[in-house]
Amino acid sequence: MWSPDKYWFLAAVFIYGLSAFYTVFLWRRGFRKDDWVTYGLLAAGFACHFTAMIQRGLSLNRCPIDNLYEATAFFMWALVGTYLVVGLWPRLRFIGAFASPLLFCIGVFALFPGLDPAGEGPRYVNGPVSLHAALILLGYGAFGVASIAAVMYLTQEHNLKFRKTLAIQSLLPSIQRLEMVNTRLLFAGLALLTSGLAMAPLIIGGRSPLEVYSDAKFLWSVFVWFMYGTLVLMHWRRQLNGHRLAWGSAGAFVFVMLTFWGTNLLSGLHQ
Amino acid sequence: MSVVVIGLNHRTSPVTVRERFAFAESEIPDVLGRMRQAGFLEEAVILSTCNRVELYAAGPLAPEELLGHLRSFLLRDRKFEGELSHELFTHGETACLEHLFKVASGLDSMLLGETEILGQLKQAYDVALQHQYTGKFLNKAFQRAFNVAKQIRTETNIQRGSVSVASAAVELAEKIFDRLQDKKVLVIGAGDTSEKTARALLSRGAHSVLVSNRSHERAVTLAESLGGRAIPFDDWSGEFSNVDILISSTSAPHYVIDRKRLAPLMPARGGRPLLMIDIAVPRDIEPEINFVENVFLYNIDDLQAIADDYMKQRLVDVSRCEAIIREKAASLFGRPPGSLATSPEQQPARAS
Repeated sequence: MWSPDKYWFLAAVFIYGLSAFYTVFLWRRGFRKDDWVTYGLLAAGFACHFTAMIQRGLSLNRCPIDNLYEATAFFMWALVGTYLVVGLWPRLRFIGAFASPLLFCIGVFALFPGLDPAGEGPRYVNGPVSLHAALILLGYGAFGVASIAAVMYLTQEHNLKFRKTLAIQSLLPSIQRLEMVNTRLLFAGLALLTSGLAMAPLIIGGRSPLEVYSDAKFLWSVFVWFMYGTLVLMHWRRQLNGHRLAWGSAGAFVFVMLTFWGTNLLSGLHQ
Repeated sequence: MSVVVIGLNHRTSPVTVRERFAFAESEIPDVLGRMRQAGFLEEAVILSTCNRVELYAAGPLAPEELLGHLRSFLLRDRKFEGELSHELFTHGETACLEHLFKVASGLDSMLLGETEILGQLKQAYDVALQHQYTGKFLNKAFQRAFNVAKQIRTETNIQRGSVSVASAAVELAEKIFDRLQDKKVLVIGAGDTSEKTARALLSRGAHSVLVSNRSHERAVTLAESLGGRAIPFDDWSGEFSNVDILISSTSAPHYVIDRKRLAPLMPARGGRPLLMIDIAVPRDIEPEINFVENVFLYNIDDLQAIADDYMKQRLVDVSRCEAIIREKAASLFGRPPGSLATSPEQQPARAS
């Protein structure tokens, strides 16, 4: 039997699914009309999603990022929240169309049985732990939207290179604008990730350094930080043009998506 | 009360005839005054542009009679003594309103869907309104025409997109660059289409233009007319690192820019995108260049294909526009076509 907040989350995933379905029509029509429908659907999904998280947080008396389901839901929340801000600019609103299928897939994954073990009662986890996890997951949300902007960049660049009508007639942003969005979100994500990781020494407690440094999640996080840091640094030093940055951003996020849950399960500290 | 139009346009008559009937803007109020003094109408608007001369009128006579008077007046006023057969067109009643709405929406224009005519129509109406040559009928008809034009612009694709090579190039640039305000344009070869394209880019805010041509004098002349700077033909590659949009239209029989020449110039650009527009025939730029990262190469056929595609979309929407126009024209005076008779209380006052 699910808790009530899970039904709100289910409703959110259903709405993200509707938005993903609507994306098919937008794609067929060539992204030619200002897209308030996707924005509205994702905003409605976000409202349900937020309600689910608030309910869960109040019922457990803590920030709901303690297991894989909660971490995934928090990450999705950060991703949609970032989009809702970025999508206020009309030309960037189509990011939602690219984000919807991703949100739907991650949402379905989060609902898999076993990711949200029952039986945990109300408890209060200290603030730094919650803040550490929240900052890192917000950072992944920014990386997620950056990767969507990167996919849009590559799509638009491909269409322009091969002189497809869609490149001209769609309302997608210019490739320079998409490169700028990608860069800024990577920078914001890196700043959030860095802040979150910087809090780690505060929450280690009495654990031995060996236990920390050999933890799979710790090693993975450091690797991810270096990966994104290298991307941002190389772009800043003009060693990585928009095309390569887009591939880097999209590739890095695919890596995060494929390994995030696995390293969580391998980590003793994060279980 | 009848509402009619008589006139000639680019479809019915050549420019040699149209120019004989054209009205200078300054003489229109006097002509409207003479028409009203002649006594056969009460309201009139004259639209005179390079592609059309049209007289819209409302009066108490039957449409055929009113059109007959208008025709005689027009020929007399313009002192035209030649033979006219199909050059003059006439529309009475609802067909007149449909014609007016089509003109306002750009459906009757030489370039389908162009918007300049709406401004010209508003200006023609303002002249008549200011001099009190319009009344209840033409005010209503013209106001509705402006509303219909707005509705058609928002609800259909008739005015969407670029239908010329120059404007297609601008639209393309806007899909690559975030803004054109800080972008530099280099024109190689001082041809007519390259000049138009450069002008179109400047009109959308492009920062500056450099012109390079084998004949330096021509380059200087074009650069001066564009407010840019001329550079020697052999030195354009020196400016390449600062350029964002390159337009080439030389008459060279071989490629002026090939991949071998371009490759060493690219690193200095710092990864900025480059739009290359090859308007020349035979082509100036080697097609292989499109495979270079951050370079987007379009030739004249590519741009024409974009313009043609937009034109096809506009043509597809013509029937939708006509349906809107028919509905709005039929409902304008709340009566079926052919029954625009005026009741005594609707009789507009005659100013004279």
